[in-house]
Amino acid sequence: MKSQLLFQIYITLRMAHKDLLDFWKAKMLVATFTVMPIIMMTMFGSMFPQTGVANPFSGKVSSPYKNSPMAIVVEDTGSFGLQVADQFKQIASSTGLFDVLEFASFGSARERIVAGSLKGAVVIPAGFSEAFSSQRQATVLITTDDTNPQMASIIYGEASSIFKTISGRLSASFIAKMNNSVDASFISEPISVERRNLAGSTTNNFQFLAPGFMALTVVTGTLSGLAAVISREREQGTMDGLLVAPVPRSTIVVGKVLGQTVRGMIQASLILTLSILFFGVRIYGSPSLMALVMFMGVASFAGVGIILSAIASEQETAQMMMMLLQFPMMFLCGILFPIEQLPEWLQWVGKMLPLYYAADALRKVIVLGASFAQILPNLTIMFVYATITMAVAIPIFHKAMTR
Amino acid sequence: MDGEIFGFLGPNGAGKSTVIRMLTTLSEPSEGTATVGGYDIVAQADRVRKIIGLVAEKIILYPRLSAVENLMFFGELYGLDRRQLRDRVEKLLTMVQLQKFRDSPVGGYSSGMRQRVNIIRGLLHDPEILFMDEPTAMLDPQSIRFVRDLIKELNQDGKTIVLTTHIMEEADELSHRIGIIDHGKIIAADTPAGLKSKLGCQTLEEVFLQLTGKALRDSASNHVPMRRVMGRV
Repeated sequence: MKSQLLFQIYITLRMAHKDLLDFWKAKMLVATFTVMPIIMMTMFGSMFPQTGVANPFSGKVSSPYKNSPMAIVVEDTGSFGLQVADQFKQIASSTGLFDVLEFASFGSARERIVAGSLKGAVVIPAGFSEAFSSQRQATVLITTDDTNPQMASIIYGEASSIFKTISGRLSASFIAKMNNSVDASFISEPISVERRNLAGSTTNNFQFLAPGFMALTVVTGTLSGLAAVISREREQGTMDGLLVAPVPRSTIVVGKVLGQTVRGMIQASLILTLSILFFGVRIYGSPSLMALVMFMGVASFAGVGIILSAIASEQETAQMMMMLLQFPMMFLCGILFPIEQLPEWLQWVGKMLPLYYAADALRKVIVLGASFAQILPNLTIMFVYATITMAVAIPIFHKAMTR
Repeated sequence: MDGEIFGFLGPNGAGKSTVIRMLTTLSEPSEGTATVGGYDIVAQADRVRKIIGLVAEKIILYPRLSAVENLMFFGELYGLDRRQLRDRVEKLLTMVQLQKFRDSPVGGYSSGMRQRVNIIRGLLHDPEILFMDEPTAMLDPQSIRFVRDLIKELNQDGKTIVLTTHIMEEADELSHRIGIIDHGKIIAADTPAGLKSKLGCQTLEEVFLQLTGKALRDSASNHVPMRRVMGRV
């Protein structure tokens, strides 16, 4: 009885080993499999604005919004206006945020924004100095290129933060003139904010993307791999060779899932390695916990994969069905961007899919150093999914195979 | 039919493959059952699987793996000890004269070579009964001769062989008994000589056409309609 069980475990592993060997021998497939995550990471990682991510090759910190061409228009005729404009130019160039160009009027700057050669304009309006002299609050106007809302808000934020700095300096000097005994910052800015991250250093987009991509790759890689191997074996006739052997059907199913899981995990570790080496991602959690999350992520989808490949009569259909499943998951499960950005009803759809929990748990482990107990709810949900879908899948697989 | 070669004939779509699939436990009969080697194909499917070998119409080999890798993998599914299995693989490869190409991927083989490996794949666990579905289809004359001689040899070594073919001379040459199936029913079962004399025909082809008619059998259903299943093999 015991040796029978050992034999079944051995056969299951042997099935997985055979699939991996078969995969390894397809050199072009292996190459594609390796290049795929690199391209995915690079493309999606670069899609979003990023701060403080060093170029992997030159070590230079680059941002698409650095040194953006920006107009400054001084309509004010007094001396304060020019002073503030000079300070703006100085801070903009020392931080590398803007490349400041002087324009005579807002009208001409506006034309250049529309033409696309300027990202925005800062106007110091007439009456600016006068407001200062009569001790009233003065205002500057910031205009941005609104064709790209995301970029516009970043430009606006950067420009206004420069003015905040200038404003702070000015208030400090005003306060100093009024009363020497009080800390100027206490009056100008009684509350200051400092950022403290949950785990270690600052986050960047890759820190968000990498765990998501790892979860996505493991799950979808396993799904489409499963569909491919099962339908290929059926098409080429080798499935009959497995079915005619005196081994339980479950060794075939589990062996295939296992083989594809190993493949998916290799691809995920590839993503992780790349992310650490080139994209400044840091891991704060335990690697074995990461592996557990990824394994559960696969398990929660394996049943679905088996059902679809059992239903699809040929390889192409099976893979198309998997694509249909994978594509929306990329957007619904918080892989590319936080799920909170979606309308509420779509958030609900996303939360019905186990990939959401896999990506969420993996992110918590990698970024926040979460413990087993902290991701237990996610693991439980994935376990429930796995049990239900597998319970449905195995009889369907049996039926499809003996048709 | 212990120890004999049973030629299993029938027009396209008559149900040959379906019967073979059921006897080899690959499909479950929708009703009725049968026994193979004394075991019930439904209730004792696992017992049946241990004593049968299958040489299916489609080659059961992984094209990217070498002959040895394929044979070792399938052999292990039968619970054979790795060392014994290795010897067995060597012996079988020698038998079909393919030791030289043992480590090349079978996808690169010619059809004849591939079929030879495919046949020994079915022999790894030394089965009592070997099911061969059109083993000479699409082979060159040399390979056909080799396979036919191999079938005879295997039978002389005591294996029962169930053979399907569309080549009447082949069935005539190899089979001790012939069964003809049409529309899912066995319509004749006898020795080749017996069939010929009963119907007064010169060749097995005449027998076949007389029993199954000359009309072409075109059908386009995805599932072969199965009614009654055969009795005892």
